[in-house]
Amino acid sequence: MTLNLCVLTPNRIVWDSEVKEIILSTNSGQIGVLPNHAPIATAVDIGILRIRLTDQWVTMALMGGFARVGSNEITVLVNDAERGSDIDPQEAQQTLEIAEANLRKAEGKRQTIEANLALRRARTRVEAINANAVIS
Amino acid sequence: MLVSSKPSLADSSSLSSRSFISPVQLTGHTSSKGNPSRSSSVTPIHCNLRELRERIDSVKNTQKITEAMKLVAAAKVRRAQEAVVNGRPFSETLVEVLYSINEQLSTEDVDVPLTKVRPVKKVALVVVTGDRGLCGGFNNNIIKKAEKRIAELKNLGLDYTVVSVGKKGNSYFTRRPYIPVDKFLDGTALPTAKEAQAIADDVFSLFISEEVDKVELLYTKFVSLVKSDPVIHTLLPLSPKGEICDINGTCVDAAEDELFRLTTKEGKLTVERDVVRTETVDFSPILQFEQDPVQILDALLPLYLNSQILRALQESLASELAARMSAMSSATDNAVELKKNLSMVYNRRRQAKITGEILEIVAGAEALI
Repeated sequence: MTLNLCVLTPNRIVWDSEVKEIILSTNSGQIGVLPNHAPIATAVDIGILRIRLTDQWVTMALMGGFARVGSNEITVLVNDAERGSDIDPQEAQQTLEIAEANLRKAEGKRQTIEANLALRRARTRVEAINANAVIS
Repeated sequence: MLVSSKPSLADSSSLSSRSFISPVQLTGHTSSKGNPSRSSSVTPIHCNLRELRERIDSVKNTQKITEAMKLVAAAKVRRAQEAVVNGRPFSETLVEVLYSINEQLSTEDVDVPLTKVRPVKKVALVVVTGDRGLCGGFNNNIIKKAEKRIAELKNLGLDYTVVSVGKKGNSYFTRRPYIPVDKFLDGTALPTAKEAQAIADDVFSLFISEEVDKVELLYTKFVSLVKSDPVIHTLLPLSPKGEICDINGTCVDAAEDELFRLTTKEGKLTVERDVVRTETVDFSPILQFEQDPVQILDALLPLYLNSQILRALQESLASELAARMSAMSSATDNAVELKKNLSMVYNRRRQAKITGEILEIVAGAEALI
């Protein structure tokens, strides 16, 4: 049985092909999906998605959304998705530092919410790069 | 020779006074169908032949520019349409999922922060304008709409703040410091999820931190290439039922407000005019929810909010380009007409001059005999 993964963002289709296995960061922790998984619906956190092709792993930074698994068909709906190999490490690191600084400076409820979100996004991107580096 | 050159000047001017009448008649003709401001620019054709020629040339150049802008806008409209098409798989799947989850949740009492309806004290208006001018009344229309809405809110005694998107709106609101603006955001050539995300983040935090109790999106809805309407669309609170009223039961929505509807029968949720009929049959009935359904809805609604904003940005861009296209095409038409009128005057003037010169020569020859 083959497993088909489809990652959709509002702009484009980021991934639409066959995979062996994926590890998805959901709101309630990471879950691995292998072929013939039971149909589930889950919220996807801001975090990384690991995809196993035949013998290599690919990482992707997901910016929060939703995933549906059913009859060997995974549909991931996210606001934004970037492949680890497509992210510029320097730029990501800088963004992370800026985000950290912003959180320290943040005043009031609203700014904290914004800064926290930005920080989590930045951290995920850096994580995606690091995971990519470790694997390859 | 010197003596003869003098009457020739007098002659040509007296003759040209006759040709004066014709432009006036011509402009009288054009002003009846065109705008009167242009006719006033045509009337003073007091200039001499060379100046006329220069004017014809400059009109020709302007015509070339407007024609090129029209073609560029037309090409960009196609690209904007492609962007909408590219986003379709996403929005279709989203609609499908939302629909089925909503079905499953319809029996439960959901409490999601984004759908929480509070008594409205302050409203945030997200005004989407273009980045550039030369597109007819496009920017003015949407800004006028915003002004009208602001006045309405003032009358209702509600507080408001503006989130301005696009350079034209930004410059408008910076010139009017009495309008409270929360944030200025720049639009880009082609709206992407990132821009939508920036706006969504802003309104999200405004709403969640309870700084505002309602978020309205003002943008130009793309109807067709020749028609687009500025509309007000309630973004937040998202309502799973369809109607948005505050707790006291008073509806503060604008009359022509388009509402977010989750529960329509055909599963049509988007602003799209072409009905998206998505198949909901393949959605497995034995689907398990990994988290609480409420949590899943919580994850889905920001996505929906985002795609809603992106759609609005795309529509606004498409309308801007369409507006530019029609503005430029009428500008080209005007230039063609102006060129026609000017060259007619020019030819008359030239003819008159030649006639005058021949008359002079004949008169001179007769005087010699």
